Amino acid sequence: MIGARTLRREDPRLLTGRGSYLADHDVPGLCHIALWRSPVAHARIRSIDTAAAAALPGVVAVLTQADLDAAGARPMTHLLPIPGVQPLAWGVLAQEVVRFVGEPLVAVVAASRAIAEDAVDVLVVDYDELPPVVDVHAALEFGAPLLYPEWGTNEFLHLDYATDGLDDALARAPHVRTERFESHRIAALPLEGHGAQASFDPATGTLTVLASQQQPHQLRTVIAEVCSLSEGEVRVIAPDMGGGFGNKQHFTREECLVALLARITGRPVRWSQDRGEGLTASIHSRPQVHDATFGYDDDGRVLALSVRVVSDLGNPVLYFSGVGPSLVTVGALCGGYAIEHHGWSLSCVATTTCPVGGYRGFGQPQSHLTTERVMDLVAADLGIDPAEVRRRNLLPDAPRPFIAHGGARIDVGPLGPQLDQLLDSFQYDAWRERQRAMRDAGRYVGIGLSTLVQGTAPTQYGVAGRGGSYETAIVSVLPDGNVTVAVGSKSQGQSHETVLAQIAAEMLGTTVDRVVVRDGDTALLPNGMGTWGSRTAVMAGGAVRVAAGRVRDKMTAIAAHMGGAPTLEAVAAEAWWHAHRLPAGIEPGLSATVCYTPGRTIPIPDAAGHTSFDETFGSHMTAVAVEVCPATGDVSVLDALLVSDCGVVINPMVVEGQHQGGFAQGLGAVLYEEVRYSDDGQPQCTTLADYTIPTAIEVPRLRVVHRETHSGTEGGFRGVGEAAITAAPAALAGAVADALAPLGVTITSTRLHAHHLRALLRAAGVEPDPAAFAIA
Amino acid sequence: MKPAPFEYVRATQLGDALAALASDDDAKVIAGGQSLVPLMALRLARPALLVDVNDLPLDTVEVANNEVRLGSLVRHVRLERDAVVVRAAPLLAEAAALIGYPAIRNRGTLGGSVAHADPAAELPAALVALDGVVLAEGREGTRRISARDFFEGFLTTVLAPDELVVGVQVPVAAERHGASFREWAPRAGDFAVAGVAVVIELDAGGVCVSLGAAACGVGSTPVDLHEVLTDAGVLGASDVGDSLLRSTAQAAARTARGDDDREQLVGLLTAAALHDAFARARGGDASGTGVAA
Amino acid sequence: MKHRVKFEVNGEAAEIEAEPRETLLDVVRERFGLTGAHAGCEHGACGACTVLVDGAAVRSCLLFAVQCEGRSVQTIEAFGTPAALHPMQEAFRTHHALQCGFCTPAMVLTAIDMLAHSPNATETEIRAALAGNLCRCTGYAGIVDAVCSLAGREPVDS
Ligand SMILES: Cc1cc2nc3c(=O)[nH]c(=O)nc-3n(C[C@H](O)[C@H](O)[C@H](O)COP(=O)(O)OP(=O)(O)OC[C@H]3O[C@@H](n4cnc5c(N)ncnc54)[C@H](O)[C@@H]3O)c2cc1C
Ligand code: FES
Ligand code: FES
Repeated sequence: MIGARTLRREDPRLLTGRGSYLADHDVPGLCHIALWRSPVAHARIRSIDTAAAAALPGVVAVLTQADLDAAGARPMTHLLPIPGVQPLAWGVLAQEVVRFVGEPLVAVVAASRAIAEDAVDVLVVDYDELPPVVDVHAALEFGAPLLYPEWGTNEFLHLDYATDGLDDALARAPHVRTERFESHRIAALPLEGHGAQASFDPATGTLTVLASQQQPHQLRTVIAEVCSLSEGEVRVIAPDMGGGFGNKQHFTREECLVALLARITGRPVRWSQDRGEGLTASIHSRPQVHDATFGYDDDGRVLALSVRVVSDLGNPVLYFSGVGPSLVTVGALCGGYAIEHHGWSLSCVATTTCPVGGYRGFGQPQSHLTTERVMDLVAADLGIDPAEVRRRNLLPDAPRPFIAHGGARIDVGPLGPQLDQLLDSFQYDAWRERQRAMRDAGRYVGIGLSTLVQGTAPTQYGVAGRGGSYETAIVSVLPDGNVTVAVGSKSQGQSHETVLAQIAAEMLGTTVDRVVVRDGDTALLPNGMGTWGSRTAVMAGGAVRVAAGRVRDKMTAIAAHMGGAPTLEAVAAEAWWHAHRLPAGIEPGLSATVCYTPGRTIPIPDAAGHTSFDETFGSHMTAVAVEVCPATGDVSVLDALLVSDCGVVINPMVVEGQHQGGFAQGLGAVLYEEVRYSDDGQPQCTTLADYTIPTAIEVPRLRVVHRETHSGTEGGFRGVGEAAITAAPAALAGAVADALAPLGVTITSTRLHAHHLRALLRAAGVEPDPAAFAIA
Repeated sequence: MKPAPFEYVRATQLGDALAALASDDDAKVIAGGQSLVPLMALRLARPALLVDVNDLPLDTVEVANNEVRLGSLVRHVRLERDAVVVRAAPLLAEAAALIGYPAIRNRGTLGGSVAHADPAAELPAALVALDGVVLAEGREGTRRISARDFFEGFLTTVLAPDELVVGVQVPVAAERHGASFREWAPRAGDFAVAGVAVVIELDAGGVCVSLGAAACGVGSTPVDLHEVLTDAGVLGASDVGDSLLRSTAQAAARTARGDDDREQLVGLLTAAALHDAFARARGGDASGTGVAA
Repeated sequence: MKHRVKFEVNGEAAEIEAEPRETLLDVVRERFGLTGAHAGCEHGACGACTVLVDGAAVRSCLLFAVQCEGRSVQTIEAFGTPAALHPMQEAFRTHHALQCGFCTPAMVLTAIDMLAHSPNATETEIRAALAGNLCRCTGYAGIVDAVCSLAGREPVDS
């Protein structure tokens, strides 16, 4: 069962339109919310006139933050457990100042979304514009307009780290270079936007909130705080989700707003984010600029790496905002390489743009880009093959765990053999031959590599100040022998109903079709951590395994007492219906609740000053071959292959799907997608016609090869979901750089879109020949 | 993302449609809805009255007097597949296949695309290249407007607010006719950043005796490249060698003056479309593949 | 002003009163409870709302319900049940063509519509026909494999 290509249990309902997403939960009397959002990047509000809006037929309520305050709303805040963070708390709605286009100021509750939008249209808001702060470097300049004047700066957080002797090592290195690598701003864009629906039952005092949310239990905590309720009075249900990708890990203003409005109006209310809101006023991701200085020897060994990271947070009114991913970035800059001297500085900067937050990969695509570009540049500089340079710098195969800078306990399998397997499966040498031949024929082919060592199943402690590294599961064998599994993780499409059932079935000796997995409901379990950070196989899978193991042990004891070889059904009936004849000391029933932790993280510095935030690591190596058309700038992927090591593979079909999907997102990010702002802070991508994610035509096939190095966590699993999305930008940037190197083009950012490449080619003096293009 | 409220009337007779249009200053026609409804959803368009013309008998394809006459309600999917269109107006078939995606082409109409006048749209450029005529019907009667005069600016035409596009007319493709539409878009199916349509006709000796060309995505209207190609020496040429391709490309590129990127694309696409058109005229296969550059 | 609309929904005659601005998407979801049609963008750019009108795939967010007088509308709910999947749905399941499932009903309907016109479509044609339907989860490989399998095509590795 573990290791089988079990078809998905969730599919029949999703395929037939019986999925049940947030907006599929109409109830009688349901009201809808629309928001007046700032049309300008930065402004001080003078007045809000709600009269015309409130007078429209069908409008139930028009509220501002003052109304929410009057109803006892409490502010939202970061729980960043880091000294030096600027003080910041924010209302569910903005109040005196708006700081990005799209910041919500007034909420309308009406009988339909259309009427709510009509009311928003007739709201009259008077404001004085303030200067926008759009460019992250300009934001840091002396005299820049300030988002929060009380900080005296736009820098929300600054941190520095360096090993002893870093400067010396750089000074002594035979070769030193400084290069800039930029990751541009993108949007995760789950196909179903965010949303929440709430109703308040005055009889029981219970607030029930449906939310398209990856961490329902933690949303419960936040809503209870904002609404001044106890956690027992709040039930959060996350129904089927149309994707999340880390975006729905954040606890948004709107989710809290929905909860408050249900209490205030006494009506069931829903907010379904529309796509315009999703693109401009939700969560953006990735914008970071890295200035990397690296020293290396004649053999291509990188001796020292120092990186200055400037991270654009947008307006950081978002739980852990872009700071969370940035902390992961700086922790992962050495990747899978043993670099003796290392340092970084991190500057997290507020700008008058949409809040930046988590997206699948969570800071790692940016660090990985830098690490891999460094390897490529070292290789190019010294004339050594880039695969060879990587080999010389990879973590040694022993010892395990390898203790990285800062203390991370890296427990991956041997990397040398994995690199061999990559080069072999990809037929790297043959590709290099073909590249030469094609270059001779005037075609620009490039090969890119990524050797990703990725922390998975992290504790949230480092970024959210609460967030133990555990997951909860209840495994029960019902009286008829069928099995239920309840977990605190929450699938957004990752096949949990299938893979967790595979684990439970294997442990209990039953079949997958007799196991029902339920998630996404705080009423199922006391607490849970949700799904993010490539954690569910390790954490929820581990919890299910331990719980099922306990139930199995109990069944074994009961069966022994029964004698013979009783069936699972007989044992289940015995345990639930014939308690009087169970062996002494055995409680009736067959159910186990487990709060599983591998216990391998070091969330706060130990005696050695070490922290380690990940329970286990995955290693994934990728090679891509691309061809760039020097006339149009189009990049075609000729081949892509990933050697995946996520420990024990529960379901290869699902793992391959995660890689293929992650690769598509990583490729989309660098070839097709970019969130752009005008100089005055107006978002330039407000519809899905402007924000162009790749379609079936643009996404190539990724070949996946599995290897299995068991982790030391329960079941031997490692995380997998964020591998390919992290690998793709680095590998593609390397491949495009390789392809265009003969034309004198250098790649310093993730903007590999055709129009950017055309501009780079023009700047390099490349003039395409129309006749050649026509005949090709 | 919901449209503002509006009134709705479905017309079953041309006269009713015209009367309804005239009845309200803020009335608008709805045909395929593939351009209008997104604008309404974004509340960028707020018509007070929608006049639905989908029940008018305008889904027609006729050939007469060496002209193809297409009703305004011919949907893109029909342009793409209809055997008569593919044979008699292959450029329109090729252009239609480049529009969006199947579901868009199942609804979007020829008249809608022409009336909407998006400068990036394929069909208006194709009509200009073909030197076609737009047939407009008002309460005063029918106007025949040359496609070259029809498009005035970004999303604006010479059509009066209470006039209806009822059809277009283009010459039937001759025997040695070659047409090609080449475009570049970030993703297949997106509106083109630039596109170029070329139609030529060769005489029995293989000499180009007639040509038309236009670009989309470049200006605020389709850009007529007829003169540019004529001046470049395409008319009268019997072959498109490298140097003719290059000089024509360079001349066409200048129409995108001020925009380096579009200049580059227009040049490339002009050369490609010209090359294809010649090849097709010679090979007797006038039809395009609809594949983007 | 509300309009009376008579049409057919999944084979059954239906009559509703609708405001002009109600889209077919909103109406099938809210009046008929057919929530397999999803609102992914409501401006015609994602395809998640695809339904069949008179047999052809269209975006239900770009069609007002009042325009559907006399038409026949089919949503995913007319094709297969969890216990008895339509062959296209079966193929999607076999080839892991879905993850979150939000794009899926529309993708299935688009694929059914395409194969009705080109039963032997090539992989390239299949990709082009599906390009109007965005999927953020799968990277499309499984979807393409599923449709190829019904078109009798071996999907080619790149
Ligand atoms: C996702 C997507 C992608 C698309 N991609 C492309 C593309 O690549 N290329 C392209 O060209 N188009 C594209 N389109 C637009 C599509 O081609 C439309 O069909 C076309 O632009 C308008 O035709 P329609 O029949 O849908 O017009 P409608 O949307 O109904 O109307 C458009 C405008 O024309 C007016 N109008 C319509 N018919 C008439 C008439 N007979 N007389 C007078 N006025 C009239 C309307 O009042 C309205 O102002 C795309 C659309 C979408 C949603
Ligand atoms: S919801 Fe209709 S196309 Fe996106
Ligand atoms: S399966 Fe999630 S969008 Fe396609």
